[in-house]
Parts: sequence; C-alpha cells; structure tokens
Amino acid sequence: MSLDKTIKGLETSFSKDLSSSKTPKELEEFRIKYLGRNGQLTSLFEEFNKLPAAEKPRYGKELNILKNKLTGLYQKAIGANDNGSSSIDIDFSLPGYNLPDGNIHPLEQITSEIKSIFQSIGFSVAYGPEIDDDYHNFEALNVPKHHPARDMQDTFFINPNTVLRTHTSNVQIHLMENQDPPLRHICCGRVFRNEAVSYKSFCLFNQVEGLVINETSSFAEMKGTLEYFVQEMFGKDTKMRFRPSYFPFTEPSAEVDIWNSKLNQWMEILGCGMVNPNVLSNVGYDNEKYQGFAFGMGIERIAMIKYGIKDIRLFYQNDKRFLEQF
Amino acid sequence: MKVSLHWLKRFVDFDLSATELADKLTMRGFESEVVTDFDSLDNLVVGEVLKAEKHPDADKLKLCSVSDGDETFSVVCGAPNVNTGQKIVFAKVGAVLPGDFKIGKAKIRGVESFGMICSERELGISEEHDGIMVLDDSLKAGTPIKDILGPLFNAIDIEVTPDKAFALSHRGIAREVATIVESKLKTPISMAKINPKSKEVISVELDKKGGCTRYIAGVMKGVKVGPSPKWLADYLKSVGQKSINNLVDISNFMLLEIGHPTHIFDLQKLDKPAIKVSWAKKNENFNALDEETYKLDADHMVITDTKNTIALAGIIGGMDSSVTDTTTEVLIESAYFNPVVIRKGSKKLNLLSEASRRFERGTDPNAASEAFNMIVQLMQEVAGGSLESVITDECSMNLQNTTVHLSSEKLLKYAGQDISSKEVEQILNGLHIDAKKSINGWTCSIPTFRTDLSVETDLIEEVFRCFGYENIKSSFNYSSVMQYANDEEASIFSLKHHLSSLGFHQSYNNSLEELEEVKLFGKDAVSVLNPSSERMNTLRTTLHSGLLKNLDFNFKNGSPDTLIYEYGTIFEGKTDKLEDITQKSSLSCLVHGDVFAKNVHFDSISASFAFLKGVASNIFEDKRLGMKVKFLEEKHHYCDPYFAITDGKKQIVGGLGVISKSLLKDLDISHKHEVVVLDIDTKIFTDYKNYNTKVEDIIAYPVVSRDLNFKMDSSVKVGDVVKAMKSVNQSILQNVSPVDIYQSKKDKSSKDVLFSLSFQSSKKTLEDKDVNAIITEIINIVSKKFNAKLRDN
Repeated sequence: MSLDKTIKGLETSFSKDLSSSKTPKELEEFRIKYLGRNGQLTSLFEEFNKLPAAEKPRYGKELNILKNKLTGLYQKAIGANDNGSSSIDIDFSLPGYNLPDGNIHPLEQITSEIKSIFQSIGFSVAYGPEIDDDYHNFEALNVPKHHPARDMQDTFFINPNTVLRTHTSNVQIHLMENQDPPLRHICCGRVFRNEAVSYKSFCLFNQVEGLVINETSSFAEMKGTLEYFVQEMFGKDTKMRFRPSYFPFTEPSAEVDIWNSKLNQWMEILGCGMVNPNVLSNVGYDNEKYQGFAFGMGIERIAMIKYGIKDIRLFYQNDKRFLEQF
Repeated sequence: MKVSLHWLKRFVDFDLSATELADKLTMRGFESEVVTDFDSLDNLVVGEVLKAEKHPDADKLKLCSVSDGDETFSVVCGAPNVNTGQKIVFAKVGAVLPGDFKIGKAKIRGVESFGMICSERELGISEEHDGIMVLDDSLKAGTPIKDILGPLFNAIDIEVTPDKAFALSHRGIAREVATIVESKLKTPISMAKINPKSKEVISVELDKKGGCTRYIAGVMKGVKVGPSPKWLADYLKSVGQKSINNLVDISNFMLLEIGHPTHIFDLQKLDKPAIKVSWAKKNENFNALDEETYKLDADHMVITDTKNTIALAGIIGGMDSSVTDTTTEVLIESAYFNPVVIRKGSKKLNLLSEASRRFERGTDPNAASEAFNMIVQLMQEVAGGSLESVITDECSMNLQNTTVHLSSEKLLKYAGQDISSKEVEQILNGLHIDAKKSINGWTCSIPTFRTDLSVETDLIEEVFRCFGYENIKSSFNYSSVMQYANDEEASIFSLKHHLSSLGFHQSYNNSLEELEEVKLFGKDAVSVLNPSSERMNTLRTTLHSGLLKNLDFNFKNGSPDTLIYEYGTIFEGKTDKLEDITQKSSLSCLVHGDVFAKNVHFDSISASFAFLKGVASNIFEDKRLGMKVKFLEEKHHYCDPYFAITDGKKQIVGGLGVISKSLLKDLDISHKHEVVVLDIDTKIFTDYKNYNTKVEDIIAYPVVSRDLNFKMDSSVKVGDVVKAMKSVNQSILQNVSPVDIYQSKKDKSSKDVLFSLSFQSSKKTLEDKDVNAIITEIINIVSKKFNAKLRDN
C-alpha cells in the first residue's frame, strides 16, 4: 500500500471519527487513537522513516502538512468545548504582519482633492496634449506671436511652431472647438516652463485650470465659486483676497491670495478672470451672447503651502523617505 | 520697476508710507513690494566717526569710535573709505536692515563691535558696497536716519504687467496714486513753447512700412558735458541708477519721469544733420553703446544719418554717434516706434533695454513731443546750450483720443451686480478717461497714453479694479451646477489606489531627460529646440528610465526594496512635426528586492518576476474587464525576457519583463536582484464600454480535488504542462495549479511537480468515475507530450 493512499485514508477516517466524537471522553479516546504516542499518525511517521532517501523530502513535507491539518482540526473541535485553552500558546505581544505600505504621490493627492471639490459643484474633468501647436497654447488664447505677454511664460519649443504647453489652457481651446456652451470643466496635467531649476522652480509643474462658459456667469459668480473652493481646500476660516492682475486670456483678471498666519503674509495661490471675448471668438463662440470665467492654479505651490514643503524638487526626486510621509 | 516716493511726489502729494503705498498699489493691480522704507527702520541714526584706527589683529579692518550724539561706541568696520570726522549711517545694536539683517553685538577678530556703519547696499539704496555711505558734514549726530534718507530714498518695487505700458514711469504710477488719494496731478516741468535760435532744419524721413510713425528731432549747441547736479543724481540714485554725466542722465531721467525713451546723438559725429529711418541690410554689423557688435538683418529698423546706421531704432544707440566728454552739439531724438517691430528686433538679438521694453509695450505718441520739449528745457538748465534748429516733427499717426463704448448692461452682466453710474463716471474720469453718458452706457474718450484700452472689457476691468474687487459681492449660481461631472481618468485613479494598497509608491519623474540616455531605450525620441540644460533636452519615451533612476536613488540611500509606479505621458516621434508625434498616457511599475522582509512570522517574500506577474493578473483580471490575460514571450530592446500581455484575444494590454543586465550597466543603476517592470495600457481602464460584468450562478455541488505528481525533465515549462492539462476539453475541470516543485540537489536533470486539480459540475455531485476518466486522459497527454512520468503513489 502506497503512503499516498494511507495519507488520504487517514485523513478521511480522521474527519469521520472526529465528527462523531462529541463528549470529552469520546474526544480523548479519539485523540489517543490518532494523535497519541502510539496513534495512527505516529505510525505513519514510522513508515516514513523506512522510505528510501530520495523520497523522503517530498513525503516529509506532505506528512508535516497532514500533521498540522489534523492537529488543527482536533484543536478546533475541542476548542468548542474548552473555551480559550487553545490560545495559550500564542504570543499576542508579537507585532502584526508588516504589510506593504504604498502611497499616492502628494501631487496626485492634492490634484484629486481639487478635482473632487470642483466635481462636487458640477465640473467635469478634461485632459489634453502636452505637446501642442503655438495656436492652441498661445494665439487662440489671445497671446499673439510678438506680444510682450509671451515673456510671462518661458517656453520650450519642439520646433518654431510646436511647444511643450506652458499651461493647460490649450485643453480649454480644444474643448471649446469641439463643444458648444454651456461648459463647466476643469483640466489638469503637466505643464512646462523653461526656467532654471532651483528650490522654488522646476522645468515643469502640474496645473488645474477651470472654465465656465454660459450666458450669465459673472465676476461675482467667479468669486463665489473660488471662495467655495478655497474654503473647502484650506478650511472655512481661510482669509482670502482677490487682487487685480493681468492675463492675456482673461479680462478683468485677478489673482487670489490666502493669508498665511504663520508667515504673516499673503500667499498667491491662483489666477483667474472673465474669459477674454477674443478667446471666445477665436473658437467661434458668439461673444456677445456668451461669457464666463476661467481660473488656474499650480498644484506644487498648493502642496508646498499645505504640507510645508520648502523645495519643489522633492516632488520629482521620489525619495522613499519623502513619499512614505504621505 | 523701482519707484521712488520722492520722485512720485514731483507729480502728486500724498501722505503714505512706502509700506502703505505698496499695499494700495497692489490692490489696484500693481503688485508692489517695499524696497526701502526708512520709516520702518529703528535704531538707525547719523553717527560721527570720532576715531578710526587700524584693527589690532587685522590689516583690512578698522576699529572706530562712533558717537550717536550721546554715547560713544566701539565699531569694527571693513570699509576702506571710513575716516575720522565723517558723518555716517550708524546702525545700532537692535537695528534690522532691509533683507531682515539683524544687527547685534559681535566679536570681530577678538574685538567687540557694537553696531555697524552702513553702505548704500546695506540700506537698500543702491548696489554700492565698495565703501560706506558718507553723509553731509553739517548733519547732527543722533538725528534719526529716516528724517535724512527717508524723504529721498524710500522706494518700492512694482511688477508692472505687460499690458500696463502707461505705468512704466513715475508719472504713470503717480496718476494711479492720484486716483487712490483723490488728488490732482502736478506738472513739474511746464510745457513752455521753445523758440529756436536758428532756422536750421533737420530733415527727417520716416520708413515706408510704418515701423516709425512719429519722429521729432532738433539740434542743441553749446552744451557742456559734466557731472549732473545733486538733485538729478539723487533722483537717479533713489531708483538705484548711477549718475554718468549730465547729458546721459537727462535722457535716463526723462525715461523714468514720463516713460518716454529718447536718444541723444553727438551731432558732430553724424555725416550730416539729417535723419532717415530705414531697415538694416542683412548681416549688417552694428557697434552698439554697450560695446557689443550686433549682426542685424532686414527685420531690424535702424536710424541713419542718411549714410551710416547711428542707432538700432528703439533699442539701443550706436557707439560711433554717442555723446562723450567732448560733445558740444547734440541731436535729440524723440520718436514713436511700432511695438511689434521693436519686439521682433530685440528678441532676435536677445537684447532688452529700458527703451525697447517701453516701445514694445506701446508708448504714448503724444509723450514724444512732451519728452522732446522737457529734454530741451532740462538741457538748458543742466548743461547749458540752446536749441539751434527748428523742431522737426514728422508724424503719420493719429494723435487724437480714441473712443470706446461701455454699455451699462454689459457692465451689469459682467459684475453680477449694479455699480452706480456716479461711481463708474467718477472712476473713469479719475483715470483721465472722459466718460459721457449715452442712452445705454457711456461714450469714453481714451487718452493716448492708455494704449491698453481699446475694447469694452478693457474699460470694465478699469471700473472693477478701481471699484475694488473686494466690493463686488460673491454669488453662487446653482442653476449651472446641475450637470453630470465626468472624469474619464477616475478608473485610473482607482487603479493607482489598488497599486498603492499592494505596497507600491507612486512616483512623479521629470518628462525631460538626456538624449544619450533616452537613446538607450531604443525609440524615436522628440527633443527640445531650446533646452535649459543638455541633461534635459529630450522627452522621455518610456517611464522605465525614471523608475530606474528612482531605484538607483533609493538604493543608494539605504532602501534597496523598491515597489514603484508612475502614471504619465510618454512621447515618440519620427520627426519634430506635431502630426508625427505620439503622446501616450502610460503606467509602468518597477520592482526590486523584497515585498516582505524576513520577520518573526515568516521568511522574506521577494519582489520577483513572479510577484509582478501576479500583480499583472490581479490588475488585468479585474472582474469588470472580464479578461483572461496571456503572457506571450517576445523579443525586447532592453528586457530579457519580455512578455507581451494580451487580453486573451489579440489585443496587447501590457508587457512584463526583466530589465537586461546590459541596460542596468549602461545606465549604472544600483541593484542586487533582478529588476522587473510591468507596463499597463490604461486605455482599457478608461474605456467604459468594455466594462461588462456578468454574474454566474453559484454552483451548489461540491468541489472534488485531486493531486497529480509528475516527474519530468527539468527543462519542461510547468506553464506548458498546465496549459496542456487545461486543453482537455471537459467542462468539469475547473482549475489546475502547480503547488509544489521538488528537485533533488544531486540530480538536477529532472524535477517532481505536484499539481492540484479541482473538478466541479453545475449539474450533479461528481463521482469518482466522472473524474477518473479525465484524470486518465490528462495523465496520457502529459506523459506523452512532456515525457513525464506519473509518480507511483
């Protein structure tokens, strides 16, 4: 008779006998029959010892599995009658399994937080190309070729007419080209600036920009929307201000500062404004009928304010000691 | 732009500190910072140097006794120009200088020093730092510095946005200040009519293409070049400019005074007293005032004396026609140049000047004549001489105000609230815009200096910013809220969370890499035309490069166990044409080292190929995708081996591979185990169409398990055996999985593999005979196909 069959047979009869052993006396008899010093399991191990050396490793393993299984079943069965006695052998003071601890990058966390705030007030999310033509990145946004406003965004060129987008506003143009008003979208993604890399600037950063176009959205509504955003993002009591500024694609334009009580100063967090009528006519919208507002912010800047990070390069170094903190 | 409060007061009376002024201007759209506000600097007094002796222990230092009128302090000073008897700016212990520079008691080379004698740079006045600032002898020691230097040197720095050309001067800012403090603008230099002493006429010829549409010229003779008077030098110093000589200073002063650039030529160096505006010859060399030679082309507009180029129009003057110490006769230029022409010309040479900055933003054509007139007056006052020619004024442009209509309905629609007519008119009139009420709004007459106001929204912006953004009440329009907010990447976000909970760190790497490195990954890369550094001149073609760098970085910093992924765009392109460039969102994972380190509960579990293969199955066999993936071995540029992952049909949905040793070596990536990467095509996750979960009935009949132990050649691939077993076309065979592989240490030619098979029928409880038939078939197939032997049980 092969050992394999014996194992199977033992397993079957073990289960059968165990289920019919109810009283403590029956259980003890059961234990002696199978797990006792002269029990069936022990004799199985004796048989094993007689095996040729080549076969030993495999059966050794199998027998151990069997032993653990049977012992486990028996322990479980007596556990039902004898409360708690089985747990005495466990050291509960040992640490739990050290399960792997992954993370979502801080920039992704902030982006997703921003997205969900705007999604909660009906903004859809759009995406678009990082390399685009000059038209979609500049001209359609009311930044003509030889305008000084081009100096506001140092640009990487792929060829004289193709750029690494300097903002996600190109997505807004693509959106408007493909869709009629009303629009209520945010776009997010990577943008590039040809600036020297330092603790405060990197050659790229992430942006979230928003666009609302319909027949009525006003400067007042823009203020209300962005106030809602700032309160959700930075807390209900956040002090903020809108201050006049200039962007070629919006007019009137504003920058939004929030008060940093630790540094005792205003910190700029986003730019916004009423969409310039030229932008609307560039995409074929009737700019007498439609109006609206747009806004944009840098994720790194917000993450730095929120987490107290002083060097923007940390976001792109992917040092585990940094990432593990999020 | 540095703006001096002293200078502003030439145009408008106001009683604001530098800090207050900066705040108010900021809220008007002129972002300002305080440069120097002496009113806010305490412990700064006029000091008298009673004694200045050599420091006992340092050759270049002096040990001074400084009196503040009351007490005498010992101060160590490094300036070469400090001397006994001087009145100086003394920062006492406790003073805080600009830049948050705190003055405390210090020990310098063994000698205690109580305070500091300041240079102009330390006070924020100028860049002068070669020596200390020496004050007028007549000052009394102990006088607060804010009373001495404050009135002259309090200054702010304004970031003037590109649209606001009108604000690039003290007069421009003063106009804004006047509306803030509701005061009138003064005229420091009157526009008296000047009568020339000669009938000589300077001929002026404008270019034919509209590059220069106004050119005013005149000649002054008998001027004497020399140092500027103190008041003029002080004005320049108050905005950080050095005084050069009276003629140059006048032109610089005028630029900062009213924002109109002018140029002064040495008349005797011209071929003849005539001006012709024209275009440069291609490759023409031009020696400029900055001692550089520029190669011009046909896009460059130049000023000539009809024979030679004497200036690069609106950008910079020529060296050969410039004024020097011996100049006695000058030709004064005050012109209007087309912004685009100046912008193009300056960009092409990468040459920015104070003049080009103003011309490219658009100057006031009427300021050209004002500037000319003022220069003549100033020159008479400061350098002597008289106007010895008729004023030639060639002009082919409109000098009249333009008209823009502002409708009250539009204003209301933009603001979302009513702004009273009275308020609107007050604001516009304050800005020198004559607003006349019409039936549905206002007809506004725009002064020529407001080159930025040409359409209705320009005026709306003016009204809003002066009304105050804070005074526009916020509203929230819920009517436009009710729409379905969609995000096509939401499912990718779930995927990222999934990876993170499996232990992966998400990384963000630079999209810009070094061409030589990108090439190693063997794809057609897209490069940047104007990289900021050669190390970042090409767009990444794969996320692997960044992830490998992350492994290397963390390995070197003591964390060899790496589970990371990135989601981002990768780029490829056969040419640099947009239509040839593909930009693809991509997700890649990289693992190395251990997933679980060895611990008290179990041994380490390594982040191996098998681990990542499991991750792949786990991700792709997301129930919603309804996919059974297959791994097909393929050749790969830098992975060995590499498996394309298919959706079980034909579509490739990802890839899994071990990074080749040679690539790790070429890139010099630290590692000690295999480095495995997984690519996931996220498109299948964003394609909601494919989301198709069908629920199957739960089978109530029991599962029957059987184990089969085969001995086979070591080279046999267990995966192939499993596949062969599954090929038995029997619906009751539910699953086959290898559970143990045994290989003896002595004989490595064969191995024992234990397979666990499970059977289940949806129709009945299986009996031995149902299962045995299939088992027999499986044993046959496996034995034949792989020359395997069923181990005798």
